[in-house]
Amino acid sequence: MVFPGMALLQRAKGPDSFWKKRRLFRLTAHFRGRNRNVWTLVLRNVKRALVRATKGRIERKKDMHDLRVTRITAAVEEHGFTQPLFADGLNRSRVYLDTKVLADLSIWEPRTFKALTHLAWSKTFKDRVEGVDEQGTPPANVAIKDLKDS
Amino acid sequence: MTALGRVKQWNTFARTWHLFDAKWQNPIESGPTVAKYLQGLHKPIFHPMSECGDHVVVINTKDIALPGDEWRLRVYFHHTGYPGGASWTKAWELHDKDPTMVMKKAVYIAMDGTLQRRYNMLRLHLFADERVPDEIMQNVTNQIKPLRYVPPSLYDYSEEEIEKFPKIVDYPHDYVIR
Repeated sequence: MVFPGMALLQRAKGPDSFWKKRRLFRLTAHFRGRNRNVWTLVLRNVKRALVRATKGRIERKKDMHDLRVTRITAAVEEHGFTQPLFADGLNRSRVYLDTKVLADLSIWEPRTFKALTHLAWSKTFKDRVEGVDEQGTPPANVAIKDLKDS
Repeated sequence: MTALGRVKQWNTFARTWHLFDAKWQNPIESGPTVAKYLQGLHKPIFHPMSECGDHVVVINTKDIALPGDEWRLRVYFHHTGYPGGASWTKAWELHDKDPTMVMKKAVYIAMDGTLQRRYNMLRLHLFADERVPDEIMQNVTNQIKPLRYVPPSLYDYSEEEIEKFPKIVDYPHDYVIR
């Protein structure tokens, strides 16, 4: 059958709703209960899930930072020093390593990390940083006299 | 994996047994310290999802020292679940009933209320005095540094040292020491 005239002027229909729904159903495949299959619930929950995913991308970075600080704290306390003083000492010594590198060093390069701890300890002791006296005497044989004061 | 690598891995991931002498220590301060070792927070490989905590053997819990009026004021709450089943036990009463309980509660409170807490507590071994079974004591390889210095009492010095201690005067012969 041929429809000349008005039938051709009809507005083009959108994409098939089946495929539109299928796009979202793929995102809810791992949901629990009716949230997986019921379209009205899917619409609502996909939106919420995507919002949470966006927030999670920021939260994950904070969590990883906290974990690395925890690990560095453990590694520093092995050598009888504290983490805040350690971070301060490295900054004063112009050792600009981030928490990721420091945490990796503490696991895979413990001797290197020990040297960094001693460096930070000696530097903070030399600069008379508040609270460093409570940690006792700094390790001997650490040459920091060539470091320029920052 | 090389033999050296294997040994390194054993040393990294093996459970260690720590000894903590609670004599004259404040349990409120000691709790977080012990909890740190139970959770594995003292290791650079710590991860909340991996169970990397160690065993801690706490001895001399009968000699703990709560500060100030805490023995009288500190109260432990328990509820049986039935109506009228609430009970409040003072710290000194609890310590009389079980000399390890105050320390145990202090460690339990120091940990976050996660699912891991009960399993961490299973790795805590509390003893009222210095008598620890050999099968536990033979595992211990490390001692946690006490938070407070325990000064020696007069009984810890030998008679010779007490004799040599400088005196201002000697007691007269007819002086009666009570």
